Parts: sequence; C-alpha cells; structure tokens
Amino acid sequence: MRNSLAAVLLVTMILPCRVSTAQEKLTGEQILDKLDKVVNGFDDQEMDVEMTIVDTGGSKKSYGFNIKQKGNDRRLVRFRTGEIKGMATLTEAANRAYVYLPGYKKVRRVAAHNMNQSFAGSDFSNSDMATSCWKCLYDGHLDKEDESHYFLTLTPKQGVETGYAKATMKISKKTGRQEDTDYFNASGELVKTFRTANYKTYACGVTLPSIIEMADPRSGHKTTLEVTELKVNQGFKDSMFTERELQWGK
Amino acid sequence: MRIALLLLLTLLVPLHDARAQSWTDMTEFSGYLDSDIRFLVEDNRGATPGDGYRFDMNRNDLDLKLTIRPFDQVKAVVDSRLRFYGFNEAASLPELVKRDPIDPYSLYLDEAYLAVQGFLFDRMDLRFGRMIQTWGSADQFNPTDNLSARDLSDPFNYSAKVPNQMVELSLYPTDWLTLTGVFVPVFKPAQLPPSALMGFAVEYADNGCFAKAPVPPLSTADVGDLEKLFGAVDPCNLNFVDPEVRTLAPESTIENSQAGFKAAFQAGDLDFSLSYYYGRFAFPVAYTAVALVDPSTQNPGAFDVKYVAEVMYPRMHVAGADFSYSAPWLFDIGFVGEIAVYFPEEVVFGMRAYQQGSLVTEKSALNVPADPFIKATAGFDYTILPWWYVNFMYVRGFFDEFNDAYGVRNYGVGATELKFFEDEVVLRLAAVLAMDDLSATLNPQLTWIVLPSAEIALAGLIFLGDTEASDPLDYSAKEKFGQKAAGRSTVALRARVTW
Repeated sequence: MRNSLAAVLLVTMILPCRVSTAQEKLTGEQILDKLDKVVNGFDDQEMDVEMTIVDTGGSKKSYGFNIKQKGNDRRLVRFRTGEIKGMATLTEAANRAYVYLPGYKKVRRVAAHNMNQSFAGSDFSNSDMATSCWKCLYDGHLDKEDESHYFLTLTPKQGVETGYAKATMKISKKTGRQEDTDYFNASGELVKTFRTANYKTYACGVTLPSIIEMADPRSGHKTTLEVTELKVNQGFKDSMFTERELQWGK
Repeated sequence: MRIALLLLLTLLVPLHDARAQSWTDMTEFSGYLDSDIRFLVEDNRGATPGDGYRFDMNRNDLDLKLTIRPFDQVKAVVDSRLRFYGFNEAASLPELVKRDPIDPYSLYLDEAYLAVQGFLFDRMDLRFGRMIQTWGSADQFNPTDNLSARDLSDPFNYSAKVPNQMVELSLYPTDWLTLTGVFVPVFKPAQLPPSALMGFAVEYADNGCFAKAPVPPLSTADVGDLEKLFGAVDPCNLNFVDPEVRTLAPESTIENSQAGFKAAFQAGDLDFSLSYYYGRFAFPVAYTAVALVDPSTQNPGAFDVKYVAEVMYPRMHVAGADFSYSAPWLFDIGFVGEIAVYFPEEVVFGMRAYQQGSLVTEKSALNVPADPFIKATAGFDYTILPWWYVNFMYVRGFFDEFNDAYGVRNYGVGATELKFFEDEVVLRLAAVLAMDDLSATLNPQLTWIVLPSAEIALAGLIFLGDTEASDPLDYSAKEKFGQKAAGRSTVALRARVTW
C-alpha cells in the first residue's frame, strides 16, 4: 500500500512535468530534429514499394522496387520490375553513390549531379528519395501551430543544394511525421506537393502512412508510392550497404 | 563433377548462415525478348559498289536468366540466349527441305557461374564458371579492361563481351579496400564485326577486273615494290581469290592463361584502383602473308593469285590505374580517368611472294615494337537539367589498337541524353571523332518506353569519312571510321520487352 501510494505520488509528480514538456514551445529546428528521429527511429528499415506514375493524360505506369536503409545515409534500392529491372543504386554516404547496370554487368560510381535526375521518371528526384535527414538540409522556422499540427517553413541551409528554394511542411504533433509538404522554386512558384494517406499497421507493428504522393500542380503529373511491406530493426550490417552487396544482387 | 564441386563449395560456406528457403525465395527469373531489323542506308561501303539500301540483318533474341540461391551466401547464375536470324540461308534445293538453313538460329550461354559469398573467410567471395569481367571507371572505353574480350558482332553495341571460363576471388579487408584476382585458363579472342572481313577483302572494278588488294603492314617502299610486281600484269588477267586469313590461336597451356589483379580504394569523393593484367591482346595483329602466283589452268595467259595471311594475338603485360571523382567544388561534375601502360610482345610482320613455286620477293617490317605504349581515357559527365545529361571523353587508343603499324590514335567521344515525357522518350546522341584523320561515327537513338518493360527504339549508326586511304601504299593511311572495315551505315528498328 505504501508502495502503491508512493507510486501514485511519483506519477503525480512526474505528470505535471510531462505536461509542462508537452506544452513547451518547440523551435522549428527542434521539430525538424524530432521529425528526423521519428523517420529514422529504427536501426534499419526495409520496404517493398509499388510506384505508380500518373501522367497529365491520366495514363498510369507502375514499377516495383525494394529499399533497404540503415541510419540516415546508407540505402540500397533494387528495381524489381519494368525495363529497369535488375538495376540497383547504393548510397553509402551523402557524397558516395553507385549504380549497378545489369546490361553492362558493372558497378559505376555516380557523381552527385545525378541526384538532380528524376527517380525512374517519377515526380521524385534521386535527391528526394535520398532525403532522410531534414535538419541536415534545411533550416526550419515554425510559422504557427494548432492543437494537432506544426506548420514550418524550410529553407535550404547555406551551401546546400536541395533542388528547391523553399518548402512548407505540416507535421502531426501526435505522430511527429510530416503529412503535407509543398515545395517552391526560386520564383516562389509551387512546384511539388507531398501528401500522405492511408495509415496502416504493418506486420512489424509499426503504423505508417502506406500511401505517399508527390505531384506537380503545374502539370497535374503525379507519382504515388505504396509501401506494401515494411520491416524494421532486422539487424542489417553495414556490410549490406557496400559495392560488394550491390554486385551480389540480392 | 560440377555437382560435386557445388556441394564442396556449399560446404565451405559457414554453416551457421545456412538456412532452408522455399523454391520461390531461392529462384529469380528474368530475361527479355528483343527483335531487331536493320537497313543499310548507303551503297558505297560494301564489297562491291552499289550494294546497299537493303535489309541487312534481323535478330530475334529470347534471353532467359535464372538465378538460384540455395543459401543466402551461394548463388548459381545461368543466362542463356536463343537467337533466330530472320534471313533464309538455304542456297540449294537440298537445303530447302531442312528448317535450319531457312530459319537459322544459334544458342548463346552468356553466363553460367556459381558465386559464394564469404568463401573460406567472411571477407572473401568466389565466382567460378562462365562469366565476363568489366574493369575500369570510364564508360565503355576502358584501357585497363582486358580480361574479357569484346564482342563486336553487333556494331550498335560496343560494350558486349565474349564470355569465358574463369575464377574470380575478391577480398574485402577493409571498408575502403577491395582486392580482386581473376584467373582465365584459356584465351578467347574478340568477336569481330561482320565488316572486319572487308579489311582483308580484294576489291574489283566495275568491269570485274582486279582493282585492289589489302595493304600489308610494310613500309611504303616495300608495298610499292609489291605493287610493281603485280602491276606488270594486266589486272584483268589476275584472278585474285579473297585472302585466306588464318588465326594463330594460342595453345591451351597454362603459359597462355590470363590473370589480372586489382586493388580498388575508396577515399571520400575519390575512388581509384591500380591493376595489372597478363595475357594476350584479344584483337588479331597481322603476322605473316604469302602470295602464291601461278598460271591459271582455266584461262591461258591469266594468273591465279592465292593470298594466305596469318594473324596472331600477341602477349602483353598491362599496368593500369583508374579513378572516378565527384567534384563538390565544381557543380558536382563527375570526372573519370583511366591510364594503362602496355608492355607488348614484339611482332615482326613477314611477307613472301612465290611465282610458280619460286620465291620472287621477301619483305618484313616491325609491326609491333616491344616498347611500352599508353592507352588512356579521361572525361566527365554532368546532368545540366533533370532531363539533360552530357558525357564527354578523350580516348587515346581505340579497342582494337595495339601500337602496330596503324598506331595508337586519339579520339573525342561525346554523348548527350535528353529525356522527355517523364523519361518515356529518350533521345541519345553519341559520336566518336577520330582526331587524327577527322573521320567519325554518329549514333543517334530514339527510345520510347511504351509501357514499363516494353520499349521501341529507332537507332542509326553512320560512318563519316573517306573509304579510300589518302596514300594507297601506306598501311596507316586508312581513316579509322572511313575505311570499309569499320562498318556500314545502318538504321535499326528494335523492340524489347523485359521481365
């Protein structure tokens, strides 16, 4: 009983502190930091993704690929369908990427300029696909907040090329994840919109939006990524994100 | 025997990593169906004037690739290709009762190897069997890449290789160092383009009389002497049969095996490697020639001339280095460079001419000096806009150049790729300029990805230059892309579906 009482007391003492923490106003930088921790909150992740590209005429095409990721930088993408089946890209670090070209049976280092190219003809650039550390790329400014969301304006850090002049982001306070992001060019024109939908609890117990959409509001062109399978914390070794593994091709 | 070897290698993999998998997990099936029809768009580069503006080739390839992974660390790869040629080859009535000459085909085995990851040690991999090797950091023009011979049977595809049996061991002692050793027991030469035969072809004038024989790699004075020898006879009385060219293939001894070693390093924005190769040059080099002149038994007053040449594959040692570098201080441009120092076996070309069994003349010249020579590539690539990519390289020494009497020459290689309609339409324009003689080849290609997996391409391969050498007596006066042996200007329409 004494112990129970002590416990209740302890909890009551702690609770005000927690509430206080929750009410503490976070800065844009802190929100971005939190977002990065949520997005990369696993030691490693693996996703099977179905990418559907919808062109301005409404016609669709789909590609399937698998992504393995460890930490912020290490990422291995393998295409499983389409004319690029067998092609794979490896990001070992922010400045080190390789592509395996099955037609040439060769691993080729790709220079950083390739990050500006479209990811398999989609609305995502290679750079978009590689972004998993927001605070490394952007300065975040908190514009406003309501009960459920933070609204941030992001501008590229000095000397960092992101492909966009500005972005506005809506982040859920409950999940800490971005829900909507709008990207603007140097002229202030809205060039891309990022939306998430259809939260799903995967077999690993993690709940995430299973649909991610990137659209170009100027043309009506859009790309949807559907995460069909998600696995986390499988204990990926660093050695799985090397040229050796890229060639091994699993 | 192969099953026993597979079992042995399987046992050598650490057993704790082995786990049972279903057949679905273990096997991966891929491949493509490719159909390709080509049309000659000139009539001046063939064996006889006026031959052209016709369909030249039709290939229908069914490629089936199977990858089996009985364990995570073991895989077997079999990549086979069935090729049907669209042109009837039946030339006689008996052949018309067989399907093969009417509908000719061939079977290719492009890969058939097993690979073991973590062979003996965690940080060592083995590949054993039929495969190809591609070394070097540059695109396609890789002077350090000598283990697998080129397959130039398709002039539109410079990068194809002839598969060969080999053993490859790779060691990964640290994250930034990879050591690779390859042993190729039996030498296999390059497969030449169909146009290569023109390099040894006798040419005839419109009246059907002998016009020109291939120039041997001798001094212009010696070639002049040979011209005089034959020039004394009316060309219409010279019955030249096409030269018989014999290849002196190396014996299948261990001395003729090939080996290569490479140490690849990663250092921040720079990747570089040092390599060494011992083996043979995969393109044939002129070695001997004999001209036999005898009175014609069928045409009194005329002479039959038989020309028998030998080509060989000289030994060589090649020390190489290559790098690729992404320049963060210069718009993230990607730079590549590759240099190889070749230490060739000396080749002396000898020629004899006999008339009615008697030696008339004998000539010789140093065709390949034993002096080391350099082949190199340096270039850059850049994505100007998300849909516009450019690549430029300076190349010293084309694939087939070995510092023989033709020399090692200089080339500019440029390519640009423009993507339209969400990458559904890709226009690629590539060109190679021979800087020494200003001949060139152009390779435009328009590809339409109709649906994922299905594409249609319209491509051209155009040769620009003079078909006639500037000096008919000089072996080295032929224009690189002007000479007929370089190929024929062609347009190709291709459709492919990949799975």
